[in-house]
Amino acid sequence: MNLEVSKSPESVSSTTGTQVLVQTPTFAFADLSVFGSVLLAALGHLMIKAGLNGAAGSVAVQGSIIERLGAYFSQPYVLLGLTVYGVGTALWVFAVSKREISYVFPITALNYVLVTLGGKFLFAEAIPLKRWIGIAVVIVGVGLMQSAGREGSR
Amino acid sequence: MTATTALWTSIFLNGMAQVLLKKGVGHSKDQGAAPASWWLSLLRNVWVWAWALSFVAATALWLLALSKLDISYAFPLLSTSFILVALLSRLLLGEFISWKRWIAIIVICLGVILIAAK
Repeated sequence: MNLEVSKSPESVSSTTGTQVLVQTPTFAFADLSVFGSVLLAALGHLMIKAGLNGAAGSVAVQGSIIERLGAYFSQPYVLLGLTVYGVGTALWVFAVSKREISYVFPITALNYVLVTLGGKFLFAEAIPLKRWIGIAVVIVGVGLMQSAGREGSR
Repeated sequence: MTATTALWTSIFLNGMAQVLLKKGVGHSKDQGAAPASWWLSLLRNVWVWAWALSFVAATALWLLALSKLDISYAFPLLSTSFILVALLSRLLLGEFISWKRWIAIIVICLGVILIAAK
């Protein structure tokens, strides 16, 4: 398996010709892609939900499966949401190429946090106390993940 | 296939999909953006296809399971995929998971259970 997917020009050599070791910045583009993909996935889900709420008319509720799917997919927010979700997935593929999977995958739990909060602020869905505690615990967990280090020491 | 079998197969495939994706895209030390050629090369990557197919199959099985099971029962069980991915990444990719990372993973699982449980 090819581990070196791509090389940046600045990591190869400096002007003096000596090898330059690129230090992992405190918050690199790779980390932005990790959190960006989670944000876009949540945003996509919320847009799809907004679109489905808009499609709650007679055809969408009583029609055949084909009619219902037609009603859903003709909603602009459903299409926009799917597009945003797709871009989020592409960003996720990029993020996975930069970070260990045992580090990035648990961070996707933030998706539950964002969708729950979005449900409250956009659709006025109630959040019971237990769920608020869960949101806090996931955020603490993601914080612990950061302090545990983005790269496993071998 | 019973709903419970569909549920656990879905959870397993969902976790496996992430490990297959990691196997496919490798581990780049470069922190910058990827060139267009890298994105195109993914289309010819068998592991990436395996990820996509596993993901689609997992989603289909998840919908099948949800049509029979209570969502408040099925949803919290999804949190086991975080532990599954950690175990599979260790077994199949050789990723080292420090005890600090394990604690973070378990805390995240507990949080998801609290959010998802009724």
